[in-house]
Amino acid sequence: MDDSVKQLLRQIIRKIPSSKLESTLTKWDHLSKRQFRSLDFTQPKWLFCENLLSLCEENDLTVKQVTELDMLYHIEHPNQGTWYACQLVDAEEETLSSELVHFRESFKKHLKYLISHIAVKTKKNDDGSIWIRIAWGDNFTRPNHLKPSYVVHHLQTPYVFVSGLTAKYKTLLHQALVLSTRYRSITDVHLSGRCLSALRDLLMRQYKQVFPTKYPRPLQERNPLPSTPNIENEHMKHTENRLQMAAEVFGDGALPKLETAVYKLETKYRDNGNEMLSGREEPFRGEVRFTSSNLLESLKSCVSSGIACAPVTPLLSSITQKGRNYFVITDKGPGISRPPGPKI
Amino acid sequence: MSLKPYSKLPELNTANVLLVENEEEFQKRLSEAIVRQENSVNVTVRLARCLPLPVENAEGRPRIDLVVFIVHLRSEQSLLSTEASLKHLDSGYFLGKVCFLVTGARSGTVSYERLASIKRTAASLNCPLLMTEDKTTEGVHTAAQRVLNILKVSAGLVPMASGLYLSTLIRCSMPTDSDWQNQD
Repeated sequence: MDDSVKQLLRQIIRKIPSSKLESTLTKWDHLSKRQFRSLDFTQPKWLFCENLLSLCEENDLTVKQVTELDMLYHIEHPNQGTWYACQLVDAEEETLSSELVHFRESFKKHLKYLISHIAVKTKKNDDGSIWIRIAWGDNFTRPNHLKPSYVVHHLQTPYVFVSGLTAKYKTLLHQALVLSTRYRSITDVHLSGRCLSALRDLLMRQYKQVFPTKYPRPLQERNPLPSTPNIENEHMKHTENRLQMAAEVFGDGALPKLETAVYKLETKYRDNGNEMLSGREEPFRGEVRFTSSNLLESLKSCVSSGIACAPVTPLLSSITQKGRNYFVITDKGPGISRPPGPKI
Repeated sequence: MSLKPYSKLPELNTANVLLVENEEEFQKRLSEAIVRQENSVNVTVRLARCLPLPVENAEGRPRIDLVVFIVHLRSEQSLLSTEASLKHLDSGYFLGKVCFLVTGARSGTVSYERLASIKRTAASLNCPLLMTEDKTTEGVHTAAQRVLNILKVSAGLVPMASGLYLSTLIRCSMPTDSDWQNQD
């Protein structure tokens, strides 16, 4: 083991919280049973790290095996950093579904063809997704394992989730993905968030949805309002309608956890009182940003409690309906226009 | 169709209160606190987001003895909605059967103008204005107690007192300019 590998292992151990070290190392499986038993997880981290280093030195682990630890930790705890969603479009042949082995080989081959100094590691997760860890390097430098990019792709679906990717390597990754799957191009779907499973659920619609019905009976049964006969609500019907509408737009039960929604305004300033601004030719640029620990839940409760007026504006409802949380609003479009995303 | 105070007959040992609030959260907690606190009198609470009340309920609605407008100083909408609702109330109610309940006055971030505006409205209508706390359980409990006290008088359940008499005593006074300076 040379110094760079040791440095890498130290960095990885530093990132993993002490409480999760044991479970992650159990999965890692590069230490013998005796070695694992000799580890003391109650030790301070630096001391633990030194002990672990000496054990790894005994086993003479390579960079590949050390990065596997980082990858295992990321697969177990994916909600770190921001994930961006991309969608593959224009399927070539529908009958041929891509296989895991084929995808893995061809992705590695294509990416290495585009840029030579990289390290790619793939792993299949239990839920059927493929995790790809890419450490990027330049023409003259070795792959930087300290700042890897993670790519998650569910085979049979057109969605790809990326985290930790710099703009420099974006096109390369997109190109490699397009070449190794049976699609013609890839676009950014303008959806990002910290929680990977939430993005996946939102795009694949794997949350409890409510559809408009003529007789919304079941809703009445779980209506929390009347508790005693002495309290009566005058606007009961109105309240029921609102709850139904909120559920139709945002879904029911536990909603996917999004953190932000951003609206970029490129519209003309409209206010009759202000001549200076409303008379201008160029658009008034602004950004509206909604932030919450669970944005969809907050918006839903705004609607169901009557703070926001119903019906819900299409700007808010398109977060769930279109699966995006970044919008550019211009004057000409029908409300929401899609900016030209990076296409290959 | 505006709500009228004397269009229906009163029932024995019964007091009915109408809580008007454009958000429903505090209203619900307050109504539960009111119902739970009162044992000797049959108190009915009716909840509404705004006035006028829906016509289809008019038949079954009992005589309303007290209308409480809940105003959250945190939201401008709450103030506007209250002012709009006031127009749909019969003038008979303003003879001691209306009170205002203000929450969030202690928060330093709300503008004093809103409080002054609701005070001015209450003073011009000769109505009492209660300051309450909506975030804590004790606050809701106290608010319920105070609403109940006024309700019992305005429903005629307290001998020798009437709503008009009480509200003349405890009505809100017009905010003066010196109040402004004290706030600043």
